Formats: sequence, C-alpha cells, structure tokens
Amino acid sequence: MQSSAHTAGATPGVPRLAAHFASLEVQNHAARLGMWLFLSTEILLFAGLFVCYGVYRYAYPEAFAEASRHLDLSLGTVNTVVLITSSLTAALAVHYAKEGKNSLVAIMFGLTIAMAGAFLVIKGFEYSHKFEEGALPGPYYTMEAVQLPGVPLYFTIYFLATGLHAFHVIIGMSVLVWLMFKAMREKNFGPNNYTAVELGSMYWHLVDLVWIFLFPLLYLI
Amino acid sequence: MSVANESSQEAHNMQEHHSSVRYWVVWGVLLALTGLTVWTGSIHIPQFGLALALLIASAKGGLVLLFFMHLVDHKGANRLVMAVSVLFVLMMLIMPMADLATRYRPANPAGSHLSDLPDLEFIEGKKSTHNRAGGGAHGSGQAAPGGQQAPSPSHP
Amino acid sequence: MNPSSSTTADGVLPAHDAHDAHGADHAHPSYLVDGTTIKSWLLTVDHKRIALMYLVWILLFFLVGGIFAMAIRLEMLTPGPTIMDAMTYNRTFTLHGMIMIFLFMIPAIPAVFGNFVLPLMLGAKDVAFPRLNLASLYIYLAGAFLALWGMLNGGLDTGWTFYTPYSAHTTTTVAPVLFGAFIIGFSSIATGLNFIVTIHTMRAPGITWFKLPLFVWALYATSCIQVLATPVIGLLMVIVTGEQLFHFGLFDPARGGDPVLFQHLFWFYSHPAVYIMVLPSFGVMSEVVATYSRKNLFGYRAIAYSSLGIAFVGFFVWGHHMFVSGQSTFDAGVFGVITMLVGVFTAIKVFNWVGTVYKGAVDFKTPFAYFCGFLFFTVFGGMTGIAVATTSLDVHWHDTYFVVAHFHFIMVGATVMAFLASIHYWFPKMFGRVYHEGWGLVAAVFIVLGFNATFIPQFLLGNYGMPRRYFEYPERYQALNVASTAGASLLAFGFVIISVYLTYALVYGRPSGKNPWRSKGYEWISDSPPPTHNFVGPQPTFSEEPHLYVDPKKAEVPNAV
Repeated sequence: MQSSAHTAGATPGVPRLAAHFASLEVQNHAARLGMWLFLSTEILLFAGLFVCYGVYRYAYPEAFAEASRHLDLSLGTVNTVVLITSSLTAALAVHYAKEGKNSLVAIMFGLTIAMAGAFLVIKGFEYSHKFEEGALPGPYYTMEAVQLPGVPLYFTIYFLATGLHAFHVIIGMSVLVWLMFKAMREKNFGPNNYTAVELGSMYWHLVDLVWIFLFPLLYLI
Repeated sequence: MSVANESSQEAHNMQEHHSSVRYWVVWGVLLALTGLTVWTGSIHIPQFGLALALLIASAKGGLVLLFFMHLVDHKGANRLVMAVSVLFVLMMLIMPMADLATRYRPANPAGSHLSDLPDLEFIEGKKSTHNRAGGGAHGSGQAAPGGQQAPSPSHP
Repeated sequence: MNPSSSTTADGVLPAHDAHDAHGADHAHPSYLVDGTTIKSWLLTVDHKRIALMYLVWILLFFLVGGIFAMAIRLEMLTPGPTIMDAMTYNRTFTLHGMIMIFLFMIPAIPAVFGNFVLPLMLGAKDVAFPRLNLASLYIYLAGAFLALWGMLNGGLDTGWTFYTPYSAHTTTTVAPVLFGAFIIGFSSIATGLNFIVTIHTMRAPGITWFKLPLFVWALYATSCIQVLATPVIGLLMVIVTGEQLFHFGLFDPARGGDPVLFQHLFWFYSHPAVYIMVLPSFGVMSEVVATYSRKNLFGYRAIAYSSLGIAFVGFFVWGHHMFVSGQSTFDAGVFGVITMLVGVFTAIKVFNWVGTVYKGAVDFKTPFAYFCGFLFFTVFGGMTGIAVATTSLDVHWHDTYFVVAHFHFIMVGATVMAFLASIHYWFPKMFGRVYHEGWGLVAAVFIVLGFNATFIPQFLLGNYGMPRRYFEYPERYQALNVASTAGASLLAFGFVIISVYLTYALVYGRPSGKNPWRSKGYEWISDSPPPTHNFVGPQPTFSEEPHLYVDPKKAEVPNAV
C-alpha cells in the first residue's frame, strides 16, 4: 500500500509520500476513501446473494425454516462470537498503531488471525456434517429428514453465501498476516503512520459485518 | 464538500484519538445483542421474528460501522458511500420480492406458497415414495401423484 | 489550421522538437518520449501512457466487434442462410454483443479519455492510485483474452444477456467467456474507484466542485455506477458459471428456482451499465460544445446535477427490460414510471447544449460535426427509449429490431460519435499534432449518413414485427435488411477513412501547438502533449471557471476555415 513506510530513505514513523500527492493528508484521505469504495463493492457483491435468499425464503418459508433448524445453532453462535471478538482485536490493533505500540499491534493481529482460523475450522466441521447428512445444493440434496419443496435451494444459497464469505475470510487473513509481519519487522506504525493498519482492519470489519447479517438469516429462521 | 480540498478537513476529523474503552464497550454490546438475537430467534416468533432479527442485525452492523470502522469520525464522502450502497441494496431486495408477491400466480416457482401449481419432483435419486409435506403447502389440494418420478426436464 | 494562437502568452511549442521558446522544456520532455524502452511503457504508471495503451487495445477490440457486426449484416442480406448456419449466427451476434459491450463500450471513453484528461482537468499530476491504474489495464486485457479465447473456441450462443436456464445448460463455452467478463469487471471497478478518489482528493486549489469541468462530473457519475453496479453482475457471472458446472438450479424452475430472478439481478447491473456507456459521452459533448461554440456552457449546474440524477435514478429502472418476461404488472408499472424520469435528465442536457450553441460563435470543426450527429441521435434514440419504456407499446416491440435500433442509436449514435469527437478533440492534446480537417469532415459525413442508413430501417423492421436474434426471416423484410446492410458498409467505410487520416496525422501531422482550438477548458493549460508529470513546477491554480469565454459579440470572431 502506498502509505506503508520503507525505512530506507523515509523518516521513521512517517510513511513515504508518493510523488503525485500534494501532501500526506491527501494521501491518507485518498487511501481511506478508496477503501470505503472498495468495501461498498463488497457489500454490493454479497447483496446479490441476499436478494436470492430473500426471494426464495419468501417463496418457500416452511422449507427455509425447516432447513434452518438442521443447522448447528451452537456452532453458529460460537462462530459469531469468535468473529465479533476478532473485530474487537482488529480495532484494538488500529488503536495501538495510532499510539505507536507495534508489538501490541502484532499481538492483536495475531489474535485476530487465530480467531479467523478458528472460525474456518468450525465452518469446516459444519460443512463436513452437511456432507454426511446429504444437505447439499440442488441435485445433490439427499437429506431424508427434510423433504419440502425449496429445501435444496436453501442449501444452494447457504453454501454459496458461506463459501463466498469464507473466501473473504481467507483474503482478510492474508492481509492481516502481512500487516502483522510488518508491525513485527519494521516497527514503524505510529500516529503519523497507521493508515495501512486501519485499511486492513476495515476490510476485516466488513467480513464481520457480512456474517452479522448472514448468521440470523441462515441460522435463526 | 464545497472546499476545493476535503483532505485537510478529513485530517482534522482523524485527529481524534479516544481511549480503547469504547471498543470494549461496543464489543460487550455486540455480544449482548448476539445473545438477544439467538434467544429471540430460537423461540421463533411467528409474525415479526424476521423483522426483529434484521433490526438487531442492523444495530450490530451499525455499531461495527460507526465505532470499529470509525465512520463516526470519518465524515463526508466516506459516509455517503456507505449510505448510497445500503440504499441500492434495499432497492435490489424490494423490487424482486414485490415482483413475486404481485405476479400472475402461475408464473411463480411451482411448489412455493405463491403458486397453485404442484411442486415438480425436485429431489433426485429419491427411490421410494415419501410423505409429501409440501407441494403447495397452502393446501389447494393438488398433491403430486405419489411415487411417480416426473421426467426431469432440466437435463439437456 | 493555424496552430499559433493561444489564450496564454506562450508561443508556439512544437511538441517533440528539442528546441523551443522555453528552455525549461528540455528538462521536461513530453510523456511520449520520456522513456523509450518497451519496459518504460509496459510498466508505466503515467496515466497518459496507460490511456494510450488502452486506446490501442480498445480500437482493436472495436475492430473485431465491428467485423462481427458486418458478418451479421451480411448474413441478414437474404432471408435464408447467406454465409453461415444458424448456430454460427447465434455465436456471431453473441460475440458482437459481448465484445462491443464489455471490451469496448464500457471502458472506451473513461479508460482512454478519462484516464488521459482527468488529472489534467484537475491540475493533478496523476490519478490517485497510478499502480492500480496500470493493474486495471492488465486485468482488462487478461479478461478480454480469456473471453475472446472462449468465444473463438466454441463460441457462446446465448446472446450477450446469457439468460438462464439456457445459459446453464448450453454446451457452448459459457465458463471462459463469463469468467473473462467477470475479470474485466474488476478493471471497471478499479477505474471507477480511482476516478472517484482522484476527483475528491486531488483537485488543484481553486477548483471547487462547481468549477469542475463537466466531463469530470460525467466521469464522477459514471464511476459511481461502475463501482456500485459491477459487483452484482460479477457475482451473477460466477453463479451462472457454477450452474454450468454443477447445475445447482438456483434459477431453474425444475428445481424450484425462478428464471426471472436471474433477470432482475442481470439487469440491475446491465441497465446502469448503459449509463456507464453513455454518461461519459454526454460529458465529452459538454466540453466540445462549449469549445466550438466559444461560449460558456448554458446551465452548468443543471448539466452537473443531471449527470448525478441519471446515475442515481438509473439504478431504479432495470425492470423495463423485463416487461414481457413474467414480471408482475405492479413492478412493470413502477419501473416504467421511473424510467420516464430518467429521460427528463437527458432532456435537460439536450436543452442546455442547444442553449450553449445558440448565439455562440460556432467554429464548425470535426468534433462539432460529430456533436451535431450526436445531438440528433441522442434525441431520437432517447425518445424511442421513452417509447419502449411504455409497457403497452413494448409488448409489441420487445425483442424486435425496434429495440435493437433504439439501443444502437444511443450506443453508436451517442457514444461512438462522442468517442470519435473525443479522438479528434483531444488528438492535439495527446499527440501534439493536427489531423487534416477536410478529411475529418468527409469521414463525419460518411459516419452520420451511414449510421442513419443502417439503423433507421431497423426501426421500421422492428415495427413491422421482425424479431431480433433470428437467423431467418420472411421475404417481406428483405428490402429493409438490405438497406441496413448497405448503410453498415457506408459506416464501415467512414471508419476506414478515419483510421487512415489519423494514422497519417500521427506520423506526418503538423505540430498543433499548445491549444489549437483556443479552448478554455482546464486541460488545455498544460502543454500538448504534456510532460510526464503534467505540469512543470508546482500545481497550478485555477481562478476562473472552465470554458469562461468572453461575450461572443465582443470577442474577435475566429476565422472560419
């Protein structure tokens, strides 16, 4: 990212200013606005799946309700708590970055990544359980317990939505890993140089935001 | 947005540096709301369960946006971006659902409660008859003939 | 064309000569020669070089799409098979649509002229994220090659709209084409994001929002659409590719799905997409009309607001593509009414452009000739759009050549005219040369007349009931089809003429000087062609609004050539 610091040739604690920006404030403002715009594209991306969900739930309310009961609510709740806590640690990372406490930044990101990993592991368990039960999308659906019209559609949407979400969790984790190593190695984040941390954290919050909506819609019908 | 350069205004907004307490507080509220939604969701309130769940989710989402993502500090264009996105998502949700609600009934997906047509035999590989719990669950009475595998029209 | 006059005190600056009136230019070579290795071009972060690279590829893809258009028209010469069989015909029109829309129309004006001119108009040295800009070019090319490979290796036959369930079951190459288009979507989003951030954060001191050039307003509105709408089609393309592979049946009635839901999601992007295609052309025309009428734009704020209005309201009208698909009449009513509103914004622009020309000192150059064609085509294309937005009428016209003619009037008649006007208007800015004005006007005549001859018969054909995407047709439609093909040949000939004289001008054209049109647009303050960082020295200040010409009655009347 352009706001990241290179210790060679830059003042410690201040990111290198790219040549085409008039000032550091402009550079930071641009980076932040750019990230908000990117997040809005992610919201519109998931929105398409939410529309499919909304339409088919409206058409098949019993099937969706019934299928939803067959999801593991406790695992889902744990996942929600895990993700919300990971959002906390990501926000704290930004906080400590503003204060220049680089080792705490690294620790916070490490915790966030660990929780993200836990989220994926739990999701993996849920998926494998579904494979066993036969609760799969469309033509692959063989779960005997629920045989209502529209049920395979529920699972199509479930897998598409949680799959897309998990994909974004992985991307978010990679970004956070990079930031964590940056904090550990360069130790250069501070009050004038925390934009990279902020942007990475914003992406992570978006991942959490999507799950906040997915959870009740999928698990709590 | 009438100044030529909003960046100085933005930098001024970003000077704020609060203690970390607010993040812990928001976290606590988020957990409480999660508990609330799990509880109210599990008791399956019939009429407005969905509305309640969405309300709680919006509250949680709002907290994440405003405090974790600092939208309460990032004024101006950043907020507008989010607001407009949300508006378009709502529009994208409302019109197709209104479509299904007001369409000529036979054009709705068969087997749904919005259609009077019986459900097509949708589950592949069913080898025996099952008690059909659905097939137009509103009960206009035309059950699909039991045990008959309808030819699957979807394969080329 | 007299290259010497200019609104500033600068003398003539032959763009690429080593000697000139200002010693400073030795140290600031034009962007064209600053770095001559291939690597300096392929890895450039200079928005102007990126714009040129886009231009080369976009023109190439336009040529390919145009060849397929001619193939369609040749096939339509006779009622039965002429030069291909039915399946090939399906692939040909799909290919034509896919290439023209995703590889040409969506990027054309923003990625080429937006990239080149936007920082100049803002007094900035580059866009906000130059490396993202370069990445957007390579992402575009990657997606384009993947899609083209798919189309030429099996070829998609679903039409560019790839409706389900057919697109989920056809054995033609859905996956590479849709995935390629999905990748191109990222390029579109990146460009839009870049422009929005640039406009918000990199304006020079003095340029407030309501002193922005109108092309910038148009680019801003376009970029908002690009950023918000493209993800939806991206997701849809991935889902349909998944449907092809796994047959989940998300939109398959046999599995309880709803094919009309696909159409809702598809058109949620694809309708705003047409505004991505047309809004930049409105912006270009605002610049052109002010320059060549040598008059302040009439109703600046109205034009600025109407761009935003089109972008915003354009998101709420998508269902007018679905009047006969099975959508409810309630939705049809809502969408129909809101669609009428969008026409109002375009009409506001048309009146303001006409108001600008009225009592202006018109300098009838090639870009202005394209403006005249553009105006006529926008008005008639737009009005036929309002006509098909009327649900009861659309029942007759939907999926006929009437609709085809309508959207070609806007896409070719408005956007391609504006693209041609842009090339001619900004040719001196980009290359420091002038082209031969006489040939410019000759080609414009061919283009405008050829266009009319191609597409007016198609309105009539559609009204008489000829469906679109049909391989065969009854005898009685043949005469109009032949007329349309003849027109298409004229149109093609016009493009050939343009390519010849512009290429000639690139190599042998007379140096243009800094501001051959004596325009008071902001981009003409920099040199033509500009140095790598656009401005020598610190960021310039812009105290006047753009296009602030003196009262024409009091100014010198430029010599009409």
